[in-house]
Amino acid sequence: MRMVGAKVPRVEDRRILTGRGHYVDDLQLPRMLHAAFLRSPIAHGRVTHLDVEAARAAPGVHAVYTGADMRELSKPIRSPLSQGAVPEVYPLVTDTVRFVGDLVAMVVADSRYTAEDAVGMIDVEYADLPVVMDYEAALDPSVPPLFADLDSNVVHTATKESGDVDAAFAAADRIIEVTLSQHRIANVPIETRGLVADYDAGSGELTVHAATQSPQGLRLQLAQTLDQPMDRLRVLTQDVGGAFGLKGNIFREDFCVPIASRQLGRPVKWIEDRNEHLMASGHAREERIAARVAVTEAGDILGLTAALDLDMGAYPGMPFSAASFTGVIALLLPGPYKVRGYRCDTRVVATNKSTYVAYRGPWAMETFTRERLIDMVAAELGLDPAEVRRRNLLEGADEDRLITGPTVRGITTRECLDRALERIDYPAFRTEQEAARAEGRYLGIGMAAFIENAPGPKEMRPGGGFTGGESAKVRLEMDGALTVITAQSPHGQGHETTLAQLAADEMGVPFDSVRVVHGDTRLTPFNIIGTGGSRAATWGSGAVMVSTRKLREKVLAIAAGQLEIDPSDLQIVDGVVSPKGVPGKEIPLARLAGQMTLMPQTAPPGTDPNLMAEERFTGEETTGSGWSGGVHACIVEVDLGTGGVEIKRWVVVEDCGRIINPAIVDGQIRGGVAQGIGSVLYERIPYDSEGTFLAGTFMDYLLPTSAEIPPIEIVHIESPDDDGVGFRGVGEGGMIVAPATLTNAISDALAPFGARVTEQYLPPAEVLRLAGVVGAGAA
Amino acid sequence: MKPAEFEHHAVDSVEEAVGLLTELADDDVKVLAGGQSLVPLLALRLASVGHLVDVNGVTELATIADGDGLAIGATVRHRQVERSPEVAAANPLLAAAVRRIGHAAIRNRGTIGGTVAHADPAAELPAVLTLLDGSVEVRGTGGGRTIAAADLFDGYFTTTLEPEELLTAVHVPALPAGTGWAVQQFSRRSGDYGIVTVLATLALDGDGRISAARVAYAGVDAVPLRSPVAETALVGQTASAELWTAVGHDAAVVLEPASDLNGSAEYRRHLAATLTARALQQASERAGVRA
Amino acid sequence: MTGRTVRVTVNGVAYERSVEARRTLTDFIRDDLRLTGTHVGCEHGVCGACTVLLDGDAVRACLLLAVQVDGREIRTIEGLERDGQLHPLQEALRDCHSFQCGFCTPGFVMTAVALLEEGATPTEEELREELSGNLCRCTGYQSIVAGVSEAVRRVNGDGGGASGDARRVEEISR
Repeated sequence: MRMVGAKVPRVEDRRILTGRGHYVDDLQLPRMLHAAFLRSPIAHGRVTHLDVEAARAAPGVHAVYTGADMRELSKPIRSPLSQGAVPEVYPLVTDTVRFVGDLVAMVVADSRYTAEDAVGMIDVEYADLPVVMDYEAALDPSVPPLFADLDSNVVHTATKESGDVDAAFAAADRIIEVTLSQHRIANVPIETRGLVADYDAGSGELTVHAATQSPQGLRLQLAQTLDQPMDRLRVLTQDVGGAFGLKGNIFREDFCVPIASRQLGRPVKWIEDRNEHLMASGHAREERIAARVAVTEAGDILGLTAALDLDMGAYPGMPFSAASFTGVIALLLPGPYKVRGYRCDTRVVATNKSTYVAYRGPWAMETFTRERLIDMVAAELGLDPAEVRRRNLLEGADEDRLITGPTVRGITTRECLDRALERIDYPAFRTEQEAARAEGRYLGIGMAAFIENAPGPKEMRPGGGFTGGESAKVRLEMDGALTVITAQSPHGQGHETTLAQLAADEMGVPFDSVRVVHGDTRLTPFNIIGTGGSRAATWGSGAVMVSTRKLREKVLAIAAGQLEIDPSDLQIVDGVVSPKGVPGKEIPLARLAGQMTLMPQTAPPGTDPNLMAEERFTGEETTGSGWSGGVHACIVEVDLGTGGVEIKRWVVVEDCGRIINPAIVDGQIRGGVAQGIGSVLYERIPYDSEGTFLAGTFMDYLLPTSAEIPPIEIVHIESPDDDGVGFRGVGEGGMIVAPATLTNAISDALAPFGARVTEQYLPPAEVLRLAGVVGAGAA
Repeated sequence: MKPAEFEHHAVDSVEEAVGLLTELADDDVKVLAGGQSLVPLLALRLASVGHLVDVNGVTELATIADGDGLAIGATVRHRQVERSPEVAAANPLLAAAVRRIGHAAIRNRGTIGGTVAHADPAAELPAVLTLLDGSVEVRGTGGGRTIAAADLFDGYFTTTLEPEELLTAVHVPALPAGTGWAVQQFSRRSGDYGIVTVLATLALDGDGRISAARVAYAGVDAVPLRSPVAETALVGQTASAELWTAVGHDAAVVLEPASDLNGSAEYRRHLAATLTARALQQASERAGVRA
Repeated sequence: MTGRTVRVTVNGVAYERSVEARRTLTDFIRDDLRLTGTHVGCEHGVCGACTVLLDGDAVRACLLLAVQVDGREIRTIEGLERDGQLHPLQEALRDCHSFQCGFCTPGFVMTAVALLEEGATPTEEELREELSGNLCRCTGYQSIVAGVSEAVRRVNGDGGGASGDARRVEEISR
């Protein structure tokens, strides 16, 4: 039975359902100490007095580190992948705090309880500095930069222009101008950040157990910043309790903890608590786009200009700073639509907030903006939003390109749109909506489309793109089991299952005899991203497939030599090599592998008894569109008595190519949609104008629950692919397109009130403000 | 997020609890009941205590007595009230209000006395006591006293209990037969405190006229509030949807709620008006007459 | 600070430990008893990841002090499997691909065990309400609701309640 395409039960589930997973906080090492941080209570200020002596003297305290101490023990933190102006930063602040939660001192003690007690004994005083809390302050050249070694709080600017913008606007019947904004939100995995650093003074080896998406990325950065030889630096990652982009970052705490372990010669654990997490682990989004759209009365979109500002908080993200994502926004903003002239100016600004981090589809502002704009165009012209989309969609023809360059041959956006509207029964809904309005009930429908280069068409990724593709290692064990070592670092995606499905099919072994290994930098091939960016489906899978094929070739060559038969006449079924159609000559893989391992000298001439393979997948053979994408549609009812929004239906039509495990794909989509719903209706990271952080608990930062997230109907289009790896990324799409879908639906519901939805966050009070039921400032 | 040090005293009797509260009065002592609000405050180090007097083992506080109304011991869990046949019979409004508290796991530990003594202005039970003119029994070293709901709540998270007094029981009058009731609450998510909660009871005479009405709010002020505006406007009127809307509006405009992350004062007043109308509608249906 | 002795039965095993009064039940279970299946997600009683059964009732372990469970009986996720055989709930959750990262899992599992043991046969809406005290960030909840519904059907029968979910489960499992 072929495993690929089947809803195979997950390998991971037995351990997680029985409480036998291995998360970083589960680790208890002998002599382990515990760290806690003193964090800044103010947004911006100079540390004028810091006395840690009482804390150092407290019983159970082993060390207290200040910024000055850490500066001696660490090089400046610098990512090899940074873009834009980068200040000199150390693990703890050296003189200035720049956001609420900034790292002032670190205590290492016998227990976390004792460490927190000692944090409370540190005597610290600050002199307030003026805060930079919004775009205007950050863009104001008279406001001093947050970092003395930077010229400005504008840390990065870029422009992308394609086609003839002036001609497009000159030809337009109308120009629609609007500024759309996306509020600050956060990834908020249920497992917070954390690591255990274990320095062995005898061997000089530093082992770091970390909840990370990228063990290799973390190892590389630690080696550089801590001057730790890479042969004596190992990062281990087992189960990770969700990340959504957050744990692909490397944080200043990640340097502090290993430094302390190296200094003290003992294991040191730091597990972020939820208050720290919400305040200081990093935040996402917070962008605005001032857009101008040039259209004809018939609804043709001729031109688009956009000016993007992104608020990245104080410190640059690592390894990818916020600037990395503005380029993707500029690239994808026109989406799967025809535009003749396009320009996008981007700016990244620094403010006194927590660091910008990637969060599931970090560039999603492009979809929110584009799809909101299309609905606004439709409303302005009195056209149907579905028709405006249809008029302007690219067909996926051979010559079709995004105006920003990449080809989109074979994209299925139109089919997705048609199927979504059919499934939700769009005409019937419009009739129902009309009738409901007559009764004073306000229903709305929203739809939105996205495409994502996961992995993107070939010309976007020559030689395997900026990572040069991805490798995997496979090894046939003496008992016939297959060990697959992936460079992916899963944290909920089920790669131990999906990669095993692929390897089982490729090798011809039972699914149960494949073991997928990840998260040990001593074993895994290098991959700076680990798992993230919807890359696993293509790159992780491709690497396992080409490596397994190589190993299979080796095995078949040996068996062919032994049986004196051509390898092309052999098959491997259920772990047994046999000549096709000739019974009685079976060679179980266990026998073959045992013989080759114990007596490699018996390998037939010209064959390789070393039953391992490590191949690099560069995607050169894949000939599909390279684009994941889809259309979502939802129906809402707005309660004008309360401002509450009820989601009555949510339909997803999604094309991520061939599906390895439909249950896992559906889970990825639904999880993303839930986060998108959270962003629109429940979640917001609030600061006041002084920079005070206002959401320190789960009573303030509202994650949606099972009672708020509706059932999500999913239709798959597995667009015909190619001769290579036909799996495309699916992790981010739900979160990319859901906010646009839902805001469009709420806007549609409020259309009778002339509501103009320009902000993504629509809590009840804001819904009522938009409806004109309560006045401005109600939210 | 770990609590600072404190001493924990598990007591078996009210006398022992009151004795400790008196003895340790100068040493930051607090009563630990269900702990569902206190423990997070300790973990966040937003509150610190020298001593906790844990009353969970005081068996005399753990019973529901049904006589002249309900006398509910301070450590009776929300879950017990929610599932009690006595409560369902005597006061279904109370059972419905309690079901609105948090989630099952919270209600399995949270206590009736704890939520009343904690006096969160958005909490359901203080509003129930306010609506129905309930009362609490407290015990100090000098003996016991009864505090009427109207005299109990003294501001945000503040009651008129003396520091050494222990709240031992909550008295909730039974709903008179035929009284319609409603609990209307709007919260951002399931299980959250209501942004606004409205409680109402209505009695109708044989002609469909309102013979008695009570309306109370949580979440609109520092303490739960009755609405004299609504109650006066309702009595003697004939039930109708128009009446509910008008009364909701009039009752809401005089409220002076605070603004917070969930919305402005104006938004809360709008919610209060909406929920009042819905509560009155529902209460009138339960009173047996359709509006 | 003097240690206080706590004697407690966890998953049928008797333990005795000396703890500080301030030690939370979560830290006690995880660090002192080394039963790390119970997870810590927020330490202030909202996320539900630390849910365990205290004398049969689902409670937040982070909102209890270890000293409060002296003489009591606790069950955690590690106690469900019997002789290598998954609990029917665990089987249903696996069959429905209910979870992803696994971090919220112990809380949902223990919340659902309490529900099953009460003999509940909730409708989908009731079940979503019952599970709403547990936060999951990965799944969008549908698979969890389907898994618990399926367990309810297998253990407590349909009761006229969860049939809609059961149908959805069939779709999922097919």
